[in-house]
Amino acid sequence: MDFLFQSILNGILAGCIYALFAMGLTLIYGVLNFVNFAHGELIMWGAYFLYFLMGKPFGFPLPIALIPALLLTILLGIGMDRFVFKPLRTANRLTLLIAALGLSFLLRNGAQFLWGAELRTYGFEIKRGLRILGISITLNQVAIILTSIVCIVFVYLLFHRTRLGKSMRAVSDNLELARVMGIDSKHAIQFAWVIASVLAGVGGILLALDTNLQPGMGLINLVKAFAATLLGGVGNIWGALLGGIVIGLAENLGVLVISPGYKDAIAFGIMVLMLLIRPSALLGRQE
Amino acid sequence: MKRIVHLILISLGILIFINPSASAQDTYKIGAAFALSGAIAVYGEGFKKAVDLAVEEINTAGGIKGKKIEIVYEDNKSTPKDCVTAVRKLVAVDKVPILFGPAGSSNFMAAAPVAQESKVVMLSAQGAAPALTKAGEYIFRVFPSDVLQGKGISDLCVSLKYMEVPIMYVNNDWGLGLKNVFVENFKKAGGKVTDEIPYDDGKTDYRTELIRATKGNPKAVVNLTYITSGAVMFKQTYEMGIKTQWICGSAAKAPKLVELAGKAVEGIIGTYPVFSQETKEYNAFRAAWKKKYGDDKVPIFGEYNYDMVYITAKAIEKGGYTSGGIQKALFEVAKGYRGVTGDKTFDQDRGVGSEYGVWTVKDGLIVDYKK
Amino acid sequence: MDLFLHLCVMIIIYIIFAMSLNLEVGYTGLFNFGHVAFFGISAYTSALLSLQQVPFELSLLIALAMAGLWGFLLSIPSLRLRGDYFGIVTLGFGEIIRMVFQNEVWFTKGPMGLPGIPKPILFSYRFATLSQYLLLTLGFAALTFLILRIILRSPFGRVLRAIREDEVAAEALGKNVFFFRIKSFVIGSLFAGLAGTLWGHYTTFISPGDFTLLETILVLLIVVLGGKGTEWGPVLGAFVLIFFQESLRFLRLPAEWTRYLAPLQQMIFGGLLIVLMIFRPEGLLKEKGRGSNAGN
Repeated sequence: MDFLFQSILNGILAGCIYALFAMGLTLIYGVLNFVNFAHGELIMWGAYFLYFLMGKPFGFPLPIALIPALLLTILLGIGMDRFVFKPLRTANRLTLLIAALGLSFLLRNGAQFLWGAELRTYGFEIKRGLRILGISITLNQVAIILTSIVCIVFVYLLFHRTRLGKSMRAVSDNLELARVMGIDSKHAIQFAWVIASVLAGVGGILLALDTNLQPGMGLINLVKAFAATLLGGVGNIWGALLGGIVIGLAENLGVLVISPGYKDAIAFGIMVLMLLIRPSALLGRQE
Repeated sequence: MKRIVHLILISLGILIFINPSASAQDTYKIGAAFALSGAIAVYGEGFKKAVDLAVEEINTAGGIKGKKIEIVYEDNKSTPKDCVTAVRKLVAVDKVPILFGPAGSSNFMAAAPVAQESKVVMLSAQGAAPALTKAGEYIFRVFPSDVLQGKGISDLCVSLKYMEVPIMYVNNDWGLGLKNVFVENFKKAGGKVTDEIPYDDGKTDYRTELIRATKGNPKAVVNLTYITSGAVMFKQTYEMGIKTQWICGSAAKAPKLVELAGKAVEGIIGTYPVFSQETKEYNAFRAAWKKKYGDDKVPIFGEYNYDMVYITAKAIEKGGYTSGGIQKALFEVAKGYRGVTGDKTFDQDRGVGSEYGVWTVKDGLIVDYKK
Repeated sequence: MDLFLHLCVMIIIYIIFAMSLNLEVGYTGLFNFGHVAFFGISAYTSALLSLQQVPFELSLLIALAMAGLWGFLLSIPSLRLRGDYFGIVTLGFGEIIRMVFQNEVWFTKGPMGLPGIPKPILFSYRFATLSQYLLLTLGFAALTFLILRIILRSPFGRVLRAIREDEVAAEALGKNVFFFRIKSFVIGSLFAGLAGTLWGHYTTFISPGDFTLLETILVLLIVVLGGKGTEWGPVLGAFVLIFFQESLRFLRLPAEWTRYLAPLQQMIFGGLLIVLMIFRPEGLLKEKGRGSNAGN
């Protein structure tokens, strides 16, 4: 039975990471109404920023490097919007989608240009996990679960309890109407990017702490995050968490039964199946 | 419409303008379609270093009959499609009679028909798939085929009395090919393969695959892994507190693995095509490497690439700078040739034999395994 | 010269591939991000049949039928979805098909790939050398071009464009949008299959590594760069892009730079896409009778 519990834990861990990514995606989708294909690269750069600050010539310890790394990620997110998506605000969907795809390509290869394609680590010593009830869990993993919950609660409160959050929701419901009502839509959009970047940065760093850094790390997980977003309902914060965990569990438990060669197909399979069976029920908000 | 025609004409013009035969024939050019970018660029850079070392030595010693060797590197981007283009370019533009083929059996096999069809000799210094040289008489390998290594791993399991093992393997040509040979041999020897787990290289999370492999606490797990996936897997095994004896293949035997995974790889064992590191050829090679690159970190399969350059130089010297001449001379010069990696005599399938040894990681160093 | 012919063959295969995607993306407005799946299905079908000594004419037909069939099967459920979701489902389909090539070893030989695919013999003429093969691909490309031209200039083509511009209006005119989209998707898949078949018989070796997401991105870039929704766009796009990519080989840069060159080249690709989308979203060639900023 131990291996079953351990797999469930792994599923939840993977799910938390997917959920962090999915929340960022869903936020941008909610406010700007397009799928940001470059979100994965925001994740990856977040992790690499920390790597950069912890390495030579800075050599900051982790807690000190964390804040500037997140600030840099925010800067990148805002920059993405300012230079790529803002000029395309009125463009059609295909144009936006292709621009996002291009941005993803640019940023991914940018990281490869600077750091090469090989795996990197933050260089912490490997530690054995704690053993609780026959399953082992490392401190990093505890941090992943706690951080995701904190992030989700934070975003939820922000959205539903603050003025700013309400204005963001208003913008996402209807940009024109929000403008008429005197809501500063520019401010709201910018704020959405800040939150999405922080979520991406935190998620990327946690993922890299738990595993490794690699230019492709964002892209691989982004597809899962897509699936989680769709599963939980676009624009739905709790849905992102739920969707992420369902995908994470399905993947990790599925591997015990089917050939692991199809591990990545599981998320796709669930997504396609759900979209086909009940598209309207799942996508919290239809176009 | 007019503009399209113009654009196409201009591009054609530029293509024709680039005159490939401009450089005079004052060197012997050898092609190298290496993975300098893409998924397996980690390996490609190492191969290149080894080839460069051998070329430098040959050229300082006066080259071949006074002429120097020049390697024309062409990036194959680690994809079959670009391997074909890279080899085409070397054959058609640089007009090399001999070239060093891409690493990765499927990449090599995609390009092999091009070399065979153009009657240009193509050598592999790291391809392990048994079918590698099937494309024709111009395709050679200086690296032993997997048939031998698969048996080596099976023998190792049997000798350590691990008669029931699950097997994990990288889901590519190398992993699958080696797995098949292993399973066949292991069953013949009375062993039982309890589970087969393929996985993709280059992922960040293998925990569930590892849990499935170690279900029921097997005494040993065979894992045919690469450097990158191996590093992640052993780290995660360590974190989860899984205790089992890992048995690997040759592709994981690299200092980089230890660098990435630290104490998590302590005690893993694996097989590799063995050649004595006590010979005078090997000592000379090691000294030369240290002198040029300042470290002892000879990359994986570096020695084979080094030998490949020497055999090629000898074949050009004997058979002349034509592909037909080199093709014939290769058999003669390699016969009984003792390189860094031992005897390089080609068999009738244009491959070489080898013995297999066992390596292990001890105190952060890769050393020969002793029971 | 051989390299030149080789590049021409590659370019022409990509032209066919891009023309088929152009029908979907450019004319019908379907965001197909898994187009490589149909390219792959046909390449494998035809290769497997040819290796069983099935004549090329027959295996080509079966390969095209398979691509069309799978296009049909995928389109029925997924075309009910719109825009981005359709894109994601097709992307997923493309990846799953690649995984099937990779994992169903008993059938496709998995990662070992299929070597020794015979060169095509069409009406007892063998297209073996580079120039012969170039002729063959040229012939097929011309055929594709003409067929698509006829289709798109017919009333059917006009309906497709109408759907792209305004789905509701097309529906109001009594057109069954769903069926028109399915037809467009199936035809697109069929021609992608043609490109795939030609590719397999050209390289004589295929493996799952040939059919990745990167291929879809490359062909999408060709369509967008050339000018989506134009007849000559894919031709121009394929030419410019592949030429640009391969001409870098001739720059004679030191091999040490290659590590930087490859990512740099891809960065240029990505950057180019962004710049194009911002400043010239219609591509190099502009579709006639369509405003520069027509939205849908």
